[in-house]
Amino acid sequence: MPRLERILIAGALAAAACSGTENGGHRVRPLPTPDGLPALRGDQTPRSARAASYTIDAHLDAVRHQITATQTLRWTNTGASTVDYLPFHLYLNAFKNEQSLFMTSSHGSMRGAQASASNWGWIELESVQIAGVELGKTLRHPADQGADETVVELPLPAPLAPGETIAVDFKFVDQLPEVFARTGFEDEFHMIGQWFPKVGVRVGPAGAETWECRPFHSNSEFFADFGTYDVTLTAPATEVVVATGVLVAATEAPGGTRTYTYRAEDVHDFAWMADPYMEMIHGPASVDGGTVDVRVVYRPAQADFAHRHLAAAIGTIETMSKLYVPYPWRVMTVIDPPMNAVEGAGGMEYPTLVTTSGDSALARPGLRLPEYVTVHEIGHNWFQGMLASNEPVEAWLDEGVNEWADARVMTALYGARASGIDWRGWQAEIAALRRAIAEDPESLPSPIASAAFAFVDSATYAEATYSSTLRALSTLQGTYGAARLDAAVKAYAQAWAFKHPTGRDFFAALQAGLGEDLTWFIDPVFERVGGMHLQLLEAACREQHAARGVFGQGPGRRTIGTGEAPLTGAYVCDVVVANTGTVHVPLDVELEFADGSTQRVHWDDRGTGAWQRFTVERSSQLTVVTLDPDRKVALASPVTLRYRLAGDGAASLRAAAWGASGVQTLMQVVGL
Amino acid sequence: MTLRALALAGARAVSKYTGTVIAVFVVQVLVALACMLGLWLVLAQVFAHYPRFDDAVDGDIVALIECVRFAVPALLANAAIVVSTLAAWQLATWFLVGGLAGVLAQRPDGRGETARCFGADGASTFLAYARLALVALPGWTLVGFVAATTLHAAMPRVETALSLPQLLGPIALALLPPALLLHFFGTVTDYTRIELTLRRDSHDLGVLSTYLRTGGFVLRRPATLVHAGLGWALFWIVTAAYLALSAGHPMFGGGGALVLFAVRLGVALVRHVIKVSVLAGQVELGRVRPLPPQRPTAKLAPKP
Repeated sequence: MPRLERILIAGALAAAACSGTENGGHRVRPLPTPDGLPALRGDQTPRSARAASYTIDAHLDAVRHQITATQTLRWTNTGASTVDYLPFHLYLNAFKNEQSLFMTSSHGSMRGAQASASNWGWIELESVQIAGVELGKTLRHPADQGADETVVELPLPAPLAPGETIAVDFKFVDQLPEVFARTGFEDEFHMIGQWFPKVGVRVGPAGAETWECRPFHSNSEFFADFGTYDVTLTAPATEVVVATGVLVAATEAPGGTRTYTYRAEDVHDFAWMADPYMEMIHGPASVDGGTVDVRVVYRPAQADFAHRHLAAAIGTIETMSKLYVPYPWRVMTVIDPPMNAVEGAGGMEYPTLVTTSGDSALARPGLRLPEYVTVHEIGHNWFQGMLASNEPVEAWLDEGVNEWADARVMTALYGARASGIDWRGWQAEIAALRRAIAEDPESLPSPIASAAFAFVDSATYAEATYSSTLRALSTLQGTYGAARLDAAVKAYAQAWAFKHPTGRDFFAALQAGLGEDLTWFIDPVFERVGGMHLQLLEAACREQHAARGVFGQGPGRRTIGTGEAPLTGAYVCDVVVANTGTVHVPLDVELEFADGSTQRVHWDDRGTGAWQRFTVERSSQLTVVTLDPDRKVALASPVTLRYRLAGDGAASLRAAAWGASGVQTLMQVVGL
Repeated sequence: MTLRALALAGARAVSKYTGTVIAVFVVQVLVALACMLGLWLVLAQVFAHYPRFDDAVDGDIVALIECVRFAVPALLANAAIVVSTLAAWQLATWFLVGGLAGVLAQRPDGRGETARCFGADGASTFLAYARLALVALPGWTLVGFVAATTLHAAMPRVETALSLPQLLGPIALALLPPALLLHFFGTVTDYTRIELTLRRDSHDLGVLSTYLRTGGFVLRRPATLVHAGLGWALFWIVTAAYLALSAGHPMFGGGGALVLFAVRLGVALVRHVIKVSVLAGQVELGRVRPLPPQRPTAKLAPKP
């Protein structure tokens, strides 16, 4: 063994020993009991077309962070056109060098985590065979891929006709990177996702299908076909292993290892975790007359948070099962990554298995960030896990719609007012918090319905995909009511579960469910740059009296003055509202008067111009004008929506007094 | 001198020169009020017509975030007002400390004589204190450097903390070395000011040499550090007690704002008395320091 390698391994072992001391040390755990259940709940008929099914046998070297594996892919041409090659994702090559698309688009940084300068990751195909014939040398990279190696194409020896199935055998080696973008290792923690050669998806109209298998960009996530996974994982006996699907068998293996066999059905991905220090708690979620076993694995130091994640996970599965379609699988595993790996590994969704995050000293009970992350990631088991949209091309369709659904779940679990924060008397709604910290959609240079890789930067991608979609759907919810929108989204989920819906399918389902052509909303909100720009241009009253002045001619000329036309005691109030943005949504305007009375007027500016004048006569003066008093529209800045005609500086004085007291304390610290 | 003697000297001085102490506090309050006026005008200019700001001030977190994002330029203007106030107060402090130290050192009788003494000493030491501020800069820089280093070292533990003790423990440990250094340099600066006040008429007092000699004096007399440290401990205890007692008692509306300001003034007055008492004790201890070199006698030409 080379000296450097020995030193590195010794260093890794020493670090492992230190880490082990902190976490309680390595120990061989009791052999886990197989789940003894089918992968699906209830009816065992396939839920999907199962176009891409995998059988994998993988061995983890926990010291070198390497996986050696064999894999057989059985792929069925479910389209109506012949296929002459198969493209495969080799996602781990995103972390191979600085020339990959992922690294050039992320600059080696993702969600606060930095790529390691030394622990690169890669996948190497040692053998690719069809019917026992080695085809490794025929592999090619797409012509337009440049230096990126995350997609490889396998020309088929003979074209594959519609309906035919082909088996492809692989041998491959994975070198896991130090985790900074979902997959990899940190010390002894291994989170293993996007780790095997994964075939692309045929999309497009029947007879004219094309392959969808894009290079791995840092903004985009994943898109794959449904199938079954029979995966055998061998790892050191001291490791706790959890994976997608149900545990079919667990046996001791030579060399102090264990072999775990998992099966998952009607899923489009498979991920797993190995860590020597994890503990597990679990509980049942009631779904459709049956139960789902929900598990949380966590390091002992994070035990308090594990219980919070478990409660949120159970609540999410039960609520989303009622709102959309019942959760179809037997188990759900939530991984709470160790704190030194959470930036890279936390907050990611896979079928029946997610990683969460949010644990911190500041996340006190009632500050619901940990719960929210769990809700969001488990929500993806609906919006992407079952409704398997094309994430690289339409990221909003899973991330954004899921974001909206998460708010519905948080409200159901914790109440509307306290769905985000309920701590020491402070309360806040999660959707309102999300909107408050988000950028105004009007300021974003890319529309929501942009491909993930087409956004100008990752910040714009995140704002448009997550926040603007949440705002858009919240606006529809406010406009049409939560019940109607829930019903429309439920119809969409039921129609498209275990398929590959597109944005068009989602919009069609909304329009059918709401019974209205929504082009007026969808086109400017989702397809174009811009937003709402509501303004109150004028709000003023004048005292009412009959007309004064000179009337008539010659002998009949009369002058009417204040005596003849006295004040009536009433007021004539003018209110002018404008919307100079690109999005026009009907809204109410509430007028409050000095006597405490209110009056509402409705403004629908769709196609009627950018402004509207309202004139009302009342017995008392106008005091406050509120645009959208019920907060139905989530697309505009809420500060300016409520306007007080007479300025009141009391709140400003209170804030200034508070600030000045703080300043005086600072004065006493820095001076006398 | 014992700590008890220093504390008693402080109490005696405050009771004898209550009027002077209050007058200095009034100046401080006026500066704070001027700051409040500036903050109020800026905020009212932006928010007086928007009730959403009322919600924010009344504790609506979402409204608070919305208002902060809505009025970033106004908040930057307020930050500038705060920084300007602190800078102005620092300049005023040089005069006020000089005046107070002069009064405490010379112990004048009567309102007029006290005022004359206060003004004369404040004015005559102002430039020396200004030079002292420059001389002390390397010390403050060292404090900043140490703080940055220790906090940087603590960050991995802070970022992965799962409980408040795990969070606050490393921060407290990291802040301890720079806090001790800060206290040392602060105490040296305090005693240098007193030396510059006590001996300016009789001795040759280069600011730099006085600062360096005072560093040695403070190191040889740990009581100086303990005495000043007790003063700061009391200062923060009073502040923390107020914060604990006031938690959960919001005061709404403009009237509430004024009541709140008045209550906080009372807290500030208590802290002011503590600081002046410490200063008085330092003046007493400064008297017994070894004398600096004598000022050389200047030969003046006889007037025609």
